[in-house]
Amino acid sequence: MGRRSLNGAEWAAMIMTGALHLSRHVERINALNVFPVPDGDTGTNMNMTMKAGVAELERRPSDEAGKAAEVLARGLLMGARGNSGVILSQLFRGFVKAAAGLHEIRVAEFAAALQHGVEIAYKAVVKPVEGTILTVAREAAREGALMARRTDDLFVWMREVQRKAAETLARTPDMLPVLKQVGVVDAGGQGLVFLYEGFLEYLQTEGSAVDTRPAESPAASVIQAQPAASPEKAEIALPHAPVQAQIATESIVFPYDMEFFIRRTSSSAPFPEAEFRRALERDGDSVIIIDDGDTVKVHVHSRKPGDVLNLALTYGELTDIHILNMRQQHRGLLDGQETGSAAREMEARQPVGVGSGAGGWSAVEAGAGDPPLGMEAATGISSPDSPWPAQTVAPARVPHPHAHEMAPYGIVAVSVGEGNAELFRSLGVDVVLTGGQTMNPSTEDVLQAIEALAAEHVMVLPNNPNIILAAEQAANLAGKPVTVIPTRSILQGMAAMLAFLEDEPADVNARRMAEAAEKVVDGQVTKAVRDTKINGLDIREGQYIGIMGKAIVTAGDRLLDTVCGLLERMMENGGDVVTVLTGEGSDGEITQRIADWLAERYPDAELEIRDGGQPLYPYLLAVEQ
Amino acid sequence: MAQVAVVTDSTADIPAAERERLGIEMVPLKVHFGEETYLDNIDLTPEQFYQKLTAFSGLPTTSQPSPADFFEVYKRLADAGRPIVSIHLSSAMSGTIQSAQLAKSMLPEADITVVDGRSASFGTGMLVVTAAELANQGASAAEIAERVAQMRKNTRLYFLVDTLEYLQRGGRIGKASALIGSLLNIKPILTIDDEGMVSPLEKVRGAKKAVARVVERIAADFPNRPVDLTLAITPGFTDTARELEERLKNTVNIGRQRVVEIGPVIGTHAGPGTVGVFVLPM
Repeated sequence: MGRRSLNGAEWAAMIMTGALHLSRHVERINALNVFPVPDGDTGTNMNMTMKAGVAELERRPSDEAGKAAEVLARGLLMGARGNSGVILSQLFRGFVKAAAGLHEIRVAEFAAALQHGVEIAYKAVVKPVEGTILTVAREAAREGALMARRTDDLFVWMREVQRKAAETLARTPDMLPVLKQVGVVDAGGQGLVFLYEGFLEYLQTEGSAVDTRPAESPAASVIQAQPAASPEKAEIALPHAPVQAQIATESIVFPYDMEFFIRRTSSSAPFPEAEFRRALERDGDSVIIIDDGDTVKVHVHSRKPGDVLNLALTYGELTDIHILNMRQQHRGLLDGQETGSAAREMEARQPVGVGSGAGGWSAVEAGAGDPPLGMEAATGISSPDSPWPAQTVAPARVPHPHAHEMAPYGIVAVSVGEGNAELFRSLGVDVVLTGGQTMNPSTEDVLQAIEALAAEHVMVLPNNPNIILAAEQAANLAGKPVTVIPTRSILQGMAAMLAFLEDEPADVNARRMAEAAEKVVDGQVTKAVRDTKINGLDIREGQYIGIMGKAIVTAGDRLLDTVCGLLERMMENGGDVVTVLTGEGSDGEITQRIADWLAERYPDAELEIRDGGQPLYPYLLAVEQ
Repeated sequence: MAQVAVVTDSTADIPAAERERLGIEMVPLKVHFGEETYLDNIDLTPEQFYQKLTAFSGLPTTSQPSPADFFEVYKRLADAGRPIVSIHLSSAMSGTIQSAQLAKSMLPEADITVVDGRSASFGTGMLVVTAAELANQGASAAEIAERVAQMRKNTRLYFLVDTLEYLQRGGRIGKASALIGSLLNIKPILTIDDEGMVSPLEKVRGAKKAVARVVERIAADFPNRPVDLTLAITPGFTDTARELEERLKNTVNIGRQRVVEIGPVIGTHAGPGTVGVFVLPM
């Protein structure tokens, strides 16, 4: 007799099993990239996204299915990386709606959750394409709705859903010609099928609610290990390091990153969330308030942690207080020794209890219900060599009205390569997030960069088609106006920066920047990672390929010929300025020969060559009118 | 009623011959090369200045005229019974106008109208020339001041600098500061905005494109109308200046053209190789 319902903990365990199953197949999913380019990362993105969701479930476990779904959705949302990750985060929001207020979910709710998720995900994507993860999710959800009328056995039901998902996945090449041409199924869809397989695996095992967690699940390792030694957690935290290293320490206006829970003393009256939020935002940012009725989770970046805690105390008892100084953390990153970045990150993140200067409350109350938090807090307190005391003094800055320190604009650009980062900064970009072809920043990374800027309006240049959605998601979550300029390459991003004028209003700048980016004809040269036939080209692994916009237009064994062939195509409609960014695998002599060839072939064009330093792409090119 | 006297300062970059012809009074700013001090456009011609600039190891500095410098000129004209219209370098860039105003306050009986040209180089210069022409036709100080204010709105000015370094070092960079240190060959098309500050209109790649855009802008600003156009250059046409002149000739309906040289004080802050175009409808 199969299982008929899942409580919050069981549901979470199922999700974790799915995530674990997905994580075992990351490379297989990555290999499904349509282009034979070395930046196939759908698997990595989906895996990182799920890990962020699972980490949140571990931080805030709940027996209530409705609450667990909310916790997961939040984690996925913040951790979403790449388009597939963003879509995944949207799909799982279906559970929030379907399980709202419920202790347990059954087949009916599960089926409704998949349906809602598909609706939400389709809305999140501007131009949904069939033959992708969306189609797989939709068909599986449809099957789920049908099957829900026939069975209330979760395993039986999930088996049919999973079967339909796999079947739809197999048909994706028929729906999306490019998949067929290359001979692969959709990578995102494949990721979803692996997740469903994991769910099925969990549902298949007969176990009681107490003993549902598979021993090798990521959950177990994080909870059992010391935080600093946890490889799972470090892996999640890792991508934050380069992000923060790009921000100037002084630009962190609200240095104290605070997180705590308010245990409501009288939960008869509803928590005045809006009022509390306004109070926090008066001198802080990144405010997140999650009201669970009897406990309220609060996250805020503040200048005056004491004030925040005093205010919060008026609403109830405070537990699991974490405060860390982001400036200190950031300085640590900047002049960090050559230790592994993961270790550095953990050290910097080490939470520190606050002295009891603000009142009679005890600094840290390790809540019994939150083992991971309680343990982390205790570690922080007892750490003998905590560098904290020297840093606890708040910067002696007279608080002045917000408007005075606000720049009219702040600009965040995603880029890869030190040279490119320098170029972006020289063009007026405030924060350069590392990412792009090999590692997509998460929604949270982008959000952090946005929140770190004391600006009235933030412009985000994703500079990669696979980062646009995550950037848009971050824009929606941000506590200030943000515009995402949908730039698809580094050189489009640079063109957009040239069009930016600080004096103009945001809508004018958004239009100018998007138009400037559109006008760029961009090209990339890299090496094929496998044999393929595409656009009439017979490409062998290891050959150079030239990509113009979205299409591979040249391929060959010689780098010089490939670059020149690509440039010729790019110049077909004329061009005044040619920009070349050299990266790993480029060669001074070849670069010189490209310059000579260009001067001879297009004597009127102005050529600029800069060292971009991007990996995997020896040359990034742009032609502008 | 005696004829209105028009006073300006040396940064208006009005050629000496034209100043003399129109009877324009000029109070010089000062340029300091280390210990040596020169009166702008008097002790030092543009040609000598750019030669010195190349030879000098440091950077020259500039200073506004003292109130006494203005007082002397205002007193002489007021004693002759003439009303005065005094038009000057943007108050956002220089304290020159403060000295003028102080001098005016020292002569409470005199009829002095001090006008902030909110511009520089021939941007001020064309206001001054028009004012002098009006004065010669017998216009009153009030009429002149009003016409000048109106004219300020109808003129367009664009300039290109070889490098933004000079504007930056002199602190006159205004809103173009974000472009400092740009690693790409970016040529901002600069103007002086309504507040009299240097402001970038757009940023383009390379000098050729910058020239093309300036010409396009002027053609669009004054479609099918003859214009009074002044090219301000540093001595010896640079390639950019030559190309700009050539392209303007081919594209814009020029009713009247003059070429002026950018003097030492403006040159100190804009740097060698600067080229400006000042246009007003005819």
